[in-house]
Amino acid sequence: MSEWLESAITRAQDVNDWLAPKRANAVELLSNTNWPTRKTEAWRYTPLRSVERSNAKVITDVIGLSPVEVTGLSAIELVFVNGKYDASQLSKILPEGLSISLGQDLEGVQKAEALDVFSTIKPERHLFGLVNDALAQDVIVISVTEGVEITQPIRISSLLSQGAESHTRVQVSLAEGSRLTVIEDVQASGDTLNTAFVEYDIAKKAHLEHYRFALQTGSNVAIGGSHFNLRDHASMHSTIVAFGSDLSRLDTDIIHAGEFADAKLNAMYLLDGKELFDLHATVEHAMPNGTTEENVRCIVADHARAVFNGRIHIHRDAQKTLAELNNRNLLMSNTAEINTKPELEIYADDVRCAHGATVAQIDKQALYYLQTRGVSRSKAQVMLNFGFINELIDLMPNAALAEWIRPVIRERFAQMEVN
Amino acid sequence: MCLFLAKVGFYMTEQIDKALAREYEAGFVSDVESETFEPGLDESVIQRISEMKGEPEWMLEWRLSAFREWLKMEEPDWALVDYPKIDFQAISYYSAPKSMKDKPKSLDEVDPELLRTYEKLGIPLIEQQMLAGIAVDAVFDSVSVVTTFRDKLEEAGVIFCPISEAIKKHPELVKKYIGSVVPKKDNYYAALNCAVFTDGSFVYIPKGTRCPMELSTYFRINEQNTGQFERTLIIADEGSHVSYLEGCTAPQRDENQLHAAVVELVAMDNAEIKYSTVQNWYPGDENGKGGIYNFVTKRGICHTSAKISWTQVETGSAVTWKYPSCILKGDNSVGEFYSVALTRGRQQADTGTKMIHIGKNTKSTIIAKGISAGKSNGSYRGLVRMNPGADGARNFTQCDSLLIGDQCGAHTFPYVESRNPSAIIEHEATTSKVSDEQMFLCRQRGLDPEKAVSMIVNGFCKEVFKELPMEFAVEAGKLLEISLEGSVG
Repeated sequence: MSEWLESAITRAQDVNDWLAPKRANAVELLSNTNWPTRKTEAWRYTPLRSVERSNAKVITDVIGLSPVEVTGLSAIELVFVNGKYDASQLSKILPEGLSISLGQDLEGVQKAEALDVFSTIKPERHLFGLVNDALAQDVIVISVTEGVEITQPIRISSLLSQGAESHTRVQVSLAEGSRLTVIEDVQASGDTLNTAFVEYDIAKKAHLEHYRFALQTGSNVAIGGSHFNLRDHASMHSTIVAFGSDLSRLDTDIIHAGEFADAKLNAMYLLDGKELFDLHATVEHAMPNGTTEENVRCIVADHARAVFNGRIHIHRDAQKTLAELNNRNLLMSNTAEINTKPELEIYADDVRCAHGATVAQIDKQALYYLQTRGVSRSKAQVMLNFGFINELIDLMPNAALAEWIRPVIRERFAQMEVN
Repeated sequence: MCLFLAKVGFYMTEQIDKALAREYEAGFVSDVESETFEPGLDESVIQRISEMKGEPEWMLEWRLSAFREWLKMEEPDWALVDYPKIDFQAISYYSAPKSMKDKPKSLDEVDPELLRTYEKLGIPLIEQQMLAGIAVDAVFDSVSVVTTFRDKLEEAGVIFCPISEAIKKHPELVKKYIGSVVPKKDNYYAALNCAVFTDGSFVYIPKGTRCPMELSTYFRINEQNTGQFERTLIIADEGSHVSYLEGCTAPQRDENQLHAAVVELVAMDNAEIKYSTVQNWYPGDENGKGGIYNFVTKRGICHTSAKISWTQVETGSAVTWKYPSCILKGDNSVGEFYSVALTRGRQQADTGTKMIHIGKNTKSTIIAKGISAGKSNGSYRGLVRMNPGADGARNFTQCDSLLIGDQCGAHTFPYVESRNPSAIIEHEATTSKVSDEQMFLCRQRGLDPEKAVSMIVNGFCKEVFKELPMEFAVEAGKLLEISLEGSVG
């Protein structure tokens, strides 16, 4: 076991709050977990050296940080600063049918329910999910009542100052027929380490629109997960945009726990320098008639490394499932690396499942075409890269977010070194 | 139409039962007097094997060092297969028909019971009776029984003999190439094979020679409680060409038997090796009792502009763990993998390939077709790796799975690793069942359900079958047809 994990376990044992039974369970599981090596399948391509070497510390001083402005978004802001929930940034009046509270402030039945749900959607196999169970500082519980549509998106921002370590946790429940948009964002300023996990319980006929941005770069360790439980006729549309950092790892789990559920996941990541980004996306079809569509696109430049594991698991009872995964990768330099593994595990016969994966570089002919029309090579490269990613941006349902992210991505391309 | 489909469905269920209850035709035991080692494995057993084979000192040393490595290794557990732990001390590591002690000089001296065994299996060893002109090396338990057409091959300069003979007669070749493609420490079963391998085939094709006939090895496990550990080494020198076929069967027994083979292929510049396998080891009964554990390491290395093509039809074995691979070391070399893996009853197969692109403009094609029926599980597990130097390399992979019945599983685990921007990798996989619509269409045109299924499945596997040499393609098609008789739900 690594020193880092040992110290995390020791720290967790000092915490005593309303989550005590869950934390104890996580600590026990962690004590029996081997620290991942190259032979650990889930961490095969992602070394954890930067976690072991991290000097990030929990910072208790109050530091004023606020999330980046997104024009036209008008979100309900839910802000963690260095892992601590900053209630002052939450708007005083919430729309009817929406409740946002600190888990420890809940009372009676609500508290018991929140405790019951905690860590049941996120699978136990995620090592850092367990670390988050054990160390999450403030746990926020969001719920939407039956049949209510919340038009204003909720933005969960985890902000970290230099050298900070944080563990944030949110659980979201959508009651029958409700609709909600949630944006998860992490902004870190260097030498930080954070784990950020969110669990979503999406009841019958409810719909979740979800975004996750992991745009921190440089010497940050960012590990997180978004986990979704879909009941009968529930649906979700998720968009993930990520850059890499020293170590960025994201685990998503979509569980079709009800019939006729529908899941869409579009993920894109753009890596430069010595960055590493690792996305493990798992879809579990446990019930019949579900549909899943996944699109994952990635561009890797310089010395960066991209890892993708897309697993679709169709259980015995999940007849009539339609599941598709499409993974396309562009490799821009001789020193960059792409490791991708789309997996299908199928135990039901009346299903249609497919996956495709490609790795290549930008079409030379397309580059040439643009050059003959007077576009410089580097500009042409940016245009083509942008087009590749923009196809997924166009699918983002929230126009304000799409407008905000486009220039961010364009600038990213301009920076990426072209070989 | 609904009623009709329901009726077809009912008929099919009946057919599945029938097909699943099919008997294993090669499951008889031959009454051949054998000399078999006591079960158990230690250095003295290896020494005895080496002594029996009259091997030179270096070979024994090589075996012993592999054994020492093996003791330090752990059994791999990453494959999607489930079987009780193997007791390596309960296996006998050597078994040979008694009559082989003084090796027969010609076919007339071979035990007639042995010849009858091969006749029953449809492998005629009597040269005069052979129609196709295929040279056969027949391996019975731990020893090679006979190799046909040797004279004719010798004329062309081709060496085709049991590997035990090659170790004595061509030590310089064996010493140079054995373990050069699959190193001793490569994996648990390969290391075990290095230590205890008993026989297998050795092929050397000289420079610029096109082997005048197809070469074939036929493996048969007969004795109880034995393991079969054969080792095949094929060297195709510059500009040569060879097509090699491999087949295997075993008696029907309640105990599991271990088969851990190693096959090494060396294709020198501009050479081409075509390696085809029809694997039909005893798969165990419908409840998963008995059957062969088939844990095989097959790998080839391609030098400049060389080509290695693996074609396999896997229908037997209780558990299959097999990944015929190509190391595309030379520029412009080509690797191919065509596979049909059929599992039924309680069979488990975890099979696929690795294509390691090292040289420039290397090309690989992977076509894998999996068919799962009954309560079986079939997995494709593959790796395509583009090294930084593999400029302009190209891979195309297609994995399709067909599920027959709702108790089976079909899985795909492809690893794709690229470190060269000019390399292009394409991978696609699909999983589906024989649809009611397809069946209805065929039935409408007057085909009975059995024919319809056979036609659909054959079409599904066509891309692979067309890669097999004629005789094998016919055998493979038949094997599939019998296994799948009307089994569509």
